[in-house]
Amino acid sequence: MRRLFADRLVLATAVIVIAMAVLFAFTRIAG
Amino acid sequence: MNSVQQRDLVRRAVWSAIYLLFILAPLFALLLGALPPSRGFGTEFSVALGYSGLAMMGLQFGLTARFRYVTQPWGEDVIYHFHRRISLLAVGLVVVHPIILFAVGSKHLAMPDSVQDVPLGAYFAVLSLGSLVVLVVMALWRTQLKISYEIWHMTHIMLAVVAVGGGLLHMVGWSFYLVDPWKRALWTGMTIFWIVLLLYVRIIKPLFMLRRPYRVAEVRTERGDASTLVMQPEGHGGFRFRPGQFGWLTLWGSPFKITGHPFSFSSSAEVADGRVEMTIRNLGDFTSAIPKVPVGRRVYLDGPYGAFTIGNPADMHVLVAGGVGITPMMSMLRTLADRGDKRPVILFYGVKDWDSVIFREELDAIKARLNLSIVYVIAKPPEGWTGEKGYVDAAVLKRHLPPPFAEHEYFICGPNVMMDSIEKALGDMHVPLSKYHSERYSFV
Repeated sequence: MRRLFADRLVLATAVIVIAMAVLFAFTRIAG
Repeated sequence: MNSVQQRDLVRRAVWSAIYLLFILAPLFALLLGALPPSRGFGTEFSVALGYSGLAMMGLQFGLTARFRYVTQPWGEDVIYHFHRRISLLAVGLVVVHPIILFAVGSKHLAMPDSVQDVPLGAYFAVLSLGSLVVLVVMALWRTQLKISYEIWHMTHIMLAVVAVGGGLLHMVGWSFYLVDPWKRALWTGMTIFWIVLLLYVRIIKPLFMLRRPYRVAEVRTERGDASTLVMQPEGHGGFRFRPGQFGWLTLWGSPFKITGHPFSFSSSAEVADGRVEMTIRNLGDFTSAIPKVPVGRRVYLDGPYGAFTIGNPADMHVLVAGGVGITPMMSMLRTLADRGDKRPVILFYGVKDWDSVIFREELDAIKARLNLSIVYVIAKPPEGWTGEKGYVDAAVLKRHLPPPFAEHEYFICGPNVMMDSIEKALGDMHVPLSKYHSERYSFV
């Protein structure tokens, strides 16, 4: 169960990092 | 939730925020100052993934740097589990980076006319990506590939350094975002910082350990093909540990040797002279040499580590051990006995057969000093055995534990299959996550 908690942290990290990469790309093309 | 759990929760949240900050701040720092013209959404998105992936790979050195303050709120096994899982994400991001560039038809991935035209950054990209793929394959299938732990560990570190160093040189070599000197300095500085974390574990920590050696005072043969190493600090007072914690043992060679092995302490935490004991079962690898360790041998211990330790339960300690998972439990029982703690303790001990019950005689003897009940669960019981048979599961727990189950404090240590089964059983018994503690001894 504790490892499941760690898995959820990994998933949350993935979502945040990909969302931030999208934000980065939009910021760039928006100038 | 008690105050210790609240404090751990806050510390987990703070460290999670710091972790994300170390990934995202250097990425968004690239948007500051003078910027080259944008190259379209797909290219910029893939570049962001590449930078994030590299930052995550670098932070892996921090996760395994054995900083107690960082690992304590989670437990070392959870940190290593996160380390393994997040590495798949990091590698995924780094692999997706060129795939997106291909998909959007980036001119940077067009085949050059000659080898001389291949930019330096591309060579480093291939080096970094290749190292990463080999690293992940070796980590995921080490056992199937029959690679010894020692060889794997050495290779793992080298490949990780090449992957991270290659990644940085790829970025610098491409000179797009890192053409700005301060941005180049930021990312180079970060890479140096990650490598320093590695050096901290491999050079600085061993330097301290070198000044605090231990001598093997006794090697005791135990049941279940296990041996206990009794180690006495030499020229120093040793360290204090909490029952259930573990240390990294370097048995052969200096503390600079790349491979230490994690083992739980099995002795009482109340021993005043710094002596520590580790009980190790022969698993056919490094552990097969333990019974032959000569008395008087100098060894090195890095510790204590781990969050798996007895608390202050309102009513009852429930210990669930499988096989050699009894070692941290033995430390807990010996410590509770030395402290004169008379709160009820129940030990569920799953073993293959009756002769494999490590500490069998001592467990019987220690009952006189504790309010302790022991439930042996034997997979292959001897003839005439009237106790529990098979494996520890929810039915066994329910037969022996007084309700309400959620009031007890649970400690579990054993093989992964047993741990998964017990964790599920406790979930079915509505025991909240805050009430059980576990440590997977096969976490490396």
